[in-house]
Amino acid sequence: MNNIKPGQVSRLHTRLDRSLLSRDKYKLFLMALPFLALAFVFSYLPLYGWIYAFYDYRPGIPLKDSEYMGFYWFTSMFSNDVRRQEIVRVLTNTFAMSGLSLLTSVLPVAFAIFLTEIRSTFFKRMVQTLTTLPNFISWVLVYSFAFMLFSVDNGFLNNVLLNLGLIDRPMNILASDSNTWLAMTLWSVWKTLGWSAIMYIAAITGIDQELYEAAKVDGAGRFRLMWHITVPGIMPTFFVLLLLSIANFINNGFEQFYVFQNAINMGRIEVLDLYVYNIGMMNSNFSFSTAVSLLKSIVSIVLLFAANHLSKLFRGENII
Amino acid sequence: MNRRKQWSVFTILISIMLVFTACSGGGSANNVKNTTETKPSDSSSSAEPGKGDANGESAAKEEITITVFSMLANYAGEQPGWFAKLIKDKFNIKLNIIASNLAGGQQKIATMMAAGDLGDLVVFGSNGDDYQDAIKAGLLLDWNQNGLLEKYGPDILKNAGQAIDANKQQFGGGTAIYGIGHDVGSGEGPSEGAEMVFGPNLRWDLYQKLGSPEINTLSDYLNVLKQMKELEPKSDSGRPTYGISLWSDWDGNYMTLAKVISQMNGYQEGDGFNPAGLTLVSVNTKEWQGILDDDGYYLEGLKFYFDANQMGLLDPDSLTQKFSDVSNKFKDGQVFFSQFPWLSNAYNTPENTAAGKGFALIPFQQEKIVSYGMNPYGGNRVWAIGSKAKDPERIMEFLNWLYTPDGMMEASYGPKGLAWDIDGSGKPIVTDYGYKALPANTEPVPEEFGGGTFKDGMNQINNTTLKNSMIHPDTKEPYDYNLWTSVLNHDPDPVTKSWREAMGAMTPREYFVKNDLIAVHQPVFTGDAPATPPADIQQKLSEIGKVIKEYSWKMVFAKNEEEYNKLKNQMVDKAKGLGYDEVIKYDVEITEKTVFANR
Repeated sequence: MNNIKPGQVSRLHTRLDRSLLSRDKYKLFLMALPFLALAFVFSYLPLYGWIYAFYDYRPGIPLKDSEYMGFYWFTSMFSNDVRRQEIVRVLTNTFAMSGLSLLTSVLPVAFAIFLTEIRSTFFKRMVQTLTTLPNFISWVLVYSFAFMLFSVDNGFLNNVLLNLGLIDRPMNILASDSNTWLAMTLWSVWKTLGWSAIMYIAAITGIDQELYEAAKVDGAGRFRLMWHITVPGIMPTFFVLLLLSIANFINNGFEQFYVFQNAINMGRIEVLDLYVYNIGMMNSNFSFSTAVSLLKSIVSIVLLFAANHLSKLFRGENII
Repeated sequence: MNRRKQWSVFTILISIMLVFTACSGGGSANNVKNTTETKPSDSSSSAEPGKGDANGESAAKEEITITVFSMLANYAGEQPGWFAKLIKDKFNIKLNIIASNLAGGQQKIATMMAAGDLGDLVVFGSNGDDYQDAIKAGLLLDWNQNGLLEKYGPDILKNAGQAIDANKQQFGGGTAIYGIGHDVGSGEGPSEGAEMVFGPNLRWDLYQKLGSPEINTLSDYLNVLKQMKELEPKSDSGRPTYGISLWSDWDGNYMTLAKVISQMNGYQEGDGFNPAGLTLVSVNTKEWQGILDDDGYYLEGLKFYFDANQMGLLDPDSLTQKFSDVSNKFKDGQVFFSQFPWLSNAYNTPENTAAGKGFALIPFQQEKIVSYGMNPYGGNRVWAIGSKAKDPERIMEFLNWLYTPDGMMEASYGPKGLAWDIDGSGKPIVTDYGYKALPANTEPVPEEFGGGTFKDGMNQINNTTLKNSMIHPDTKEPYDYNLWTSVLNHDPDPVTKSWREAMGAMTPREYFVKNDLIAVHQPVFTGDAPATPPADIQQKLSEIGKVIKEYSWKMVFAKNEEEYNKLKNQMVDKAKGLGYDEVIKYDVEITEKTVFANR
């Protein structure tokens, strides 16, 4: 940089520009680095643990001394008729409940739209707080709440109905196999409705107010505003979340079903995660559990790409 | 240029550090807990130099904290109260208890194993997989190292030498000693105290009112329970009463409370030596049955509860409630039938028994109650020392004391002079305070003995050493205060009194022995370690267990006999499809090779 000739000035400029640019790039990269590192440590490093799926691992004993099982844990799931039936049953439950939760994923959208239409700020705030609150209650507490409400011996509901003379024998609601899927979906809607609506409320506030004004000038009523402006305005958010939940189709949680399970509803409540827990983790069979989670990851990736492809096909935009 | 590079390197370093501190947070928290040696300058250590100590040596000893990892403990944290004071004075040690029962369960154990450190003093719930894996993984200390056991554990060798030998043969390849079993005892006859582990116990007052109808078989109880319910339709607090109330949170590979029926018939799950699978094995003959055998005791148990439900005697919450809910129902008098004496004792409060109301043993004439019997080789709950323990000598001294007669008395019932004492003739007596505090009441403890309540101050490790029905060498009476002559003759409450008169025995144990309604388990020693089932058997077992559990409860609550039989057939078909026969075959093979071969 010491002997600059006059003709080189413009070239120097571009070089300076470039170095400035690359310095910015550097900076941005450095800013992102901690998060990349976090993602690496928490999402990629654990992939090393997949190796346990191929051994008979017992905690405390190093892997090199453990027995090598090959694909035993993968094939054992499907190794005979009864087991295949079990897997089919469990997957049916998983898909049914995931399907129901996909269907109910429009509820938070509707809820958010109606909530923003409410004019009284106090009432709006109160409703939002009360519906968001359940999200922070753990499932264990939700169950003890459910037990207080619905138990046979001294449950609130049975007491009320008995005292009103509407029934003459207490009902056993928790230990019943009717409508398990629906009941579980309702519990989870109750718990997550307000929380999931937050994202849509944010999306609604992001919609350009001029659109509403223009539509009003054109004579659009309230419901027309909602239908023609608000709904299309939050559709992109809705679809992103929908795609992500499709990718998570097979992991529909575990705690909820774990706390609500009992012998009577076991046939329908047992989703894949719970099944793996019941036969794998309960007996410290970590290798089997790892094998299943490995398969699940693969299914999730396939589902995500399929959904993304469909989105590209129908809506002309994709998220990956 | 250079500066920029430095800056970027610095940023990278920081971010990596951030990430790793975040990751290792969980692990390091554990490490800190282990053997935190209190500094000598700690104020309390020099305050009371070995008060009431026989050898007075502890005055010179530094205070240490022992991390006790107990898979049996139901209390976590520092040992409080009178037991803390006792061992502080004797050994200048504190106990920090980690209880996997309270947080994490089997997964907590797995985490500790994988981390490679089990703490200082380790208590295993069984001598099966976990114990054997810990030995294989080198997590336990060999007690032969530097003559540790010989130097610091002479009383263990003296009082439980056979148990040490057994452990050496079974788990240490004949040379190393990694632990010792619990409840070491020798001699013939039942090993239980005054009461057995199983019942059934019913409401004695109601039974008397009904004119003490004869009960020959299990199903005879149902009519009695029905009449009891008619006699007392409401509990003390006005809730409806039930004959039987069950809970499901103790279920393993089957419904535990149905399996209990086999223990009233001389059978138990597994052979008592190898880990239990799906067989019920007689405790003193060479007979066994599969858990799903049509004429087996498990199905008899299911049928019993099913019939109870058909007669409206079964608590409809049985399926969804937890053990603590049932315990509360017993306390309130909502339940009449108890599988276990210790469960129904919750109702036998001084107020209730003074009013003549209380539970007592009402056996059926064909009963053969299981007694665990004396076992000189030690039970399967193992005491061990972690390989990373800092002061194995001090830990061994403590463990040694637990295996002495003094240790037996004091660790169970508190320091001499508080709840118990020795009278002029050298016999043990329970003090006035003891009658209020024992066995585990929330009676305040005087400050000089450690303060707090008697219950909270109890030895929270929750494993035993010598069998408490063994005879104390000095007093010539058992360790168990319930069996002391002075206690048996101490002002029995009206319920006990009436029970004794009617049954012609002082204690349930005596009644069972006298009438030959008992099957005593014979100890087995083979020189081999208990089997550890291979991975595929293990997996089959848990799959089948899940099916059996699910269908068992469905059968109990089936609408009618027809549905009951349909569910039963479904259960058997499913279990067989999952490899039930192979698991049974494996179970029987190991049982025949070890237990039956030595019986």
